Amino acid sequence: MGEIRAAFAIARKEIRAFSRYRIAVASTVFTPLYQFIIPAFLFGAAFAVNGRAAGLAATVGTDDLPGFIFFGGLIGGLIGMAFWGVAFSIRMEMDTGTLEATWLTPTHHETVVIGRALGSLFWFAISQVALFAFGIWVLGLRLRLEMLLALPAVLCAILAMVGIAYLLAGIVLLIREANFFVDTANFLFGMLSGTAFPVTLLPGVLQPIAFALPTTYAIDILRVQALGARPLFDPALEYVALVGLTLVSYPIGRWVFGRAEETMRRRGMLAQY
Amino acid sequence: MSLLGADLRAFIAAARKEVRQQRRYPTLFLGQIFWPVLLPASWVLMGRAYSGNDPQALAAFADRAGSSNIAVFVFVGYAMYNWLSVLLWGAGTALRQEQLRGTLEAVFVTPATRLVPLFGPGVGMLLPMAVIFASNFLALRFFFGIFPPIGAVIQAAVIVVLGIPALYAIGALFAASVLRFGEVAPVVQLIRGMFVLACGITFPVAMLPLWAQVWAKILPPTYIVDDIRRILLRGDTIADVAGDVAIVLSLAVVTGILAVAVFRYLEMSARRTGMLGQF
Amino acid sequence: MTAAPAVETKDLVKVFERGRRTIWQRLRREHDKRERFRAVDGIDLVVEPGEIFGLLGPNGAGKTTTMKMLATLLIPTSGTIRVLGIDPLMRPREVRARLGAMLSGERSLYMKLTGRENLEYFAALYHVPPGETKARIEKVLAAAKLADRADDYVERYSTGMRQRLALARALLPDPPLVVLDEPTVGLDPQASRDLRDRVRELKAQGRTVLLTTHYMEEADQLCDRVAIIDHGRIVALDTPAALKRTIRAEEVVHLEIGLDGDESAVIDRLGRSATVARSERSNGTLTVTAHCASARDFVPAAFDAARSTGTTIHHVEVVPVTLEDVFLALTGRALRE
Repeated sequence: MGEIRAAFAIARKEIRAFSRYRIAVASTVFTPLYQFIIPAFLFGAAFAVNGRAAGLAATVGTDDLPGFIFFGGLIGGLIGMAFWGVAFSIRMEMDTGTLEATWLTPTHHETVVIGRALGSLFWFAISQVALFAFGIWVLGLRLRLEMLLALPAVLCAILAMVGIAYLLAGIVLLIREANFFVDTANFLFGMLSGTAFPVTLLPGVLQPIAFALPTTYAIDILRVQALGARPLFDPALEYVALVGLTLVSYPIGRWVFGRAEETMRRRGMLAQY
Repeated sequence: MSLLGADLRAFIAAARKEVRQQRRYPTLFLGQIFWPVLLPASWVLMGRAYSGNDPQALAAFADRAGSSNIAVFVFVGYAMYNWLSVLLWGAGTALRQEQLRGTLEAVFVTPATRLVPLFGPGVGMLLPMAVIFASNFLALRFFFGIFPPIGAVIQAAVIVVLGIPALYAIGALFAASVLRFGEVAPVVQLIRGMFVLACGITFPVAMLPLWAQVWAKILPPTYIVDDIRRILLRGDTIADVAGDVAIVLSLAVVTGILAVAVFRYLEMSARRTGMLGQF
Repeated sequence: MTAAPAVETKDLVKVFERGRRTIWQRLRREHDKRERFRAVDGIDLVVEPGEIFGLLGPNGAGKTTTMKMLATLLIPTSGTIRVLGIDPLMRPREVRARLGAMLSGERSLYMKLTGRENLEYFAALYHVPPGETKARIEKVLAAAKLADRADDYVERYSTGMRQRLALARALLPDPPLVVLDEPTVGLDPQASRDLRDRVRELKAQGRTVLLTTHYMEEADQLCDRVAIIDHGRIVALDTPAALKRTIRAEEVVHLEIGLDGDESAVIDRLGRSATVARSERSNGTLTVTAHCASARDFVPAAFDAARSTGTTIHHVEVVPVTLEDVFLALTGRALRE
């Protein structure tokens, strides 16, 4: 019970503290818009024949360009949550000195990851609602009832990214150049999951990595069920892979996080300044 | 010793200081090789997804972008994006940091021209820019197997060199303007976002609504990107784009004058109010 | 029956490695060339319940490392620790639940949260029961004299207020043992006095306090017992009064002597009527610290010594014995060198 309260306290603190950086809050919506969504939409629309994304239809089996972009962006946002919202922000706490005070409390250190994930999910949800609203009003994004069928895949992806967040937090606490790692690894993770283009277009050597990521299946299921896109594999098989990889992500992630924590306690890295 | 010679040396010293600082942060350097390849490569793959290798879709794109060669189109656009990024980040943060550290004040009490802190850091950006252009070029060659004719590459390089004053002036205007803001980072994001959306970086300008296309016409990067694409993709020569070059150079003069004026104004008001350190 | 010690360590050692061992070096199984550094080198401590115990020593002596091992943040290289009878290695969370620790002070607070919000957050992390949280926070805020500023962002607090808030946070779990690492560093004299008063209140409430400091006055005024620590070892441990008695001097005399030639003659002469704890020469001035039974007897003798060796005493200062002199007598160095 104490741990659950602690997790919610961490989430609440996260939501409160972040809300006080107004520009940062605004950029959770603005940055994906100008860096990805609008340019990708206009780029894709440049290939349209008579107002229809025929090229995209040939590649993935749906001509719903905004849907393709926004559902990729949704999982991309989830990936960013694990990298930036959980792993990098724990590292920031270590650098500023507040992590030490947190580590001094009897709250389980893993609860810190869970609490942060909850807090980041809140901001993730807010920014996605704003982005989807923009998509509907400006870019002609259409939401249909059958999209709800993809909801279990999204929930599963959320759980998987929390498992992966443990792993990332463990890595990021130990390495020196955390910012560079998070920035590049987040980008690669997104690309390899197929947030922006189908993973079948990746060079052959990268495809096995793509198929080892739970998010690859989540995005595919999402696009199949919400947009009627052509699946990579049998959707039932994709669900099995998604659930399996999600389950595997927890023991691996927690093991790495535990090792990182012990290394820090051995080397005294908790407060380096 | 002539004043000009002394000023020149001051410029070189400011540039060398920037290069040194960059060398101290190895991942920054790594990022300058990594990002210029990764980002455009992902957009090329996006382009492939959108085209679906469908002849009609490719023809539609060629109609709007001037060519169906997605890789060159994207890489040229991203070269400009990276150039702008380095410039806005570098120039904006360099002058701001000089102000915060109080070294701007230190420069003001030397007899060197006031323009050293304004334009000096930009010189230091030339090296990272060269690294970025080189990695762009190599990525096109080795990952996408594209070999533009050497004559076209040289002409494109000339366009880049001719574009330097304009980009330089944009950097200086930006640096002088952000001195009044507390945080540089969000302003960089905002301005860079504007350039990305307006200048045809990742999609043809023809896709923009008409009112936005008018705005694009007063931004030098729009012309530079378009000219390089015309030379590399359509076999145009410098003579064909001479009109654009003239516009870019005039915009450079106007922007440069504007930058100096803003900076002078801030300096004067600082001297009046005695707040040189913080404007 | 006597209560278990609040803190007990036996032969506590912490070795740090300096430098990096790259993945490449690990893969090739190259010889580990990292420098080993013994930050804590065999510390035996027993802190009794209800006392204020101080670890006094210069920066880098191993005080903070010791505190962090007690507070479960560091794993010792060897040796045993018991905190309130619990092994922090085996049962770290039980130790954390009973320990109020203030280690890096003001840096450990969230600047964009208010004082109260900071405490609400940490109350949940300390597993304070929900029903008690509000009252507990009001209590620690009042004790820290922060009740009127509780709803301001911490970024608007002064350093002293932040330090008091950090201490208030450490008291949220109502801990029987409080550990404070350099609690008054960076504070102005008034804020330091306030904080010391707070520490005395903690003792009056029946809590055990273990603190580190490199301010000898602080250790002298505040602590029931002091361990003097240097290069990771305890060099002396007793009450401040008993420690001062160990140097067998009632007074300390600082002399500044002007001389041109060799200083050994005058030091030798001074040594006949006092203990020369330290001498340092810079240019033409020799600075001497002497421990003596009576300055009334020693000062005239010192002038005689100067005259007979052809040197001149420029300045004399007589001060009572402090813990600084104890440290000097034990290590030959000043605390702040």
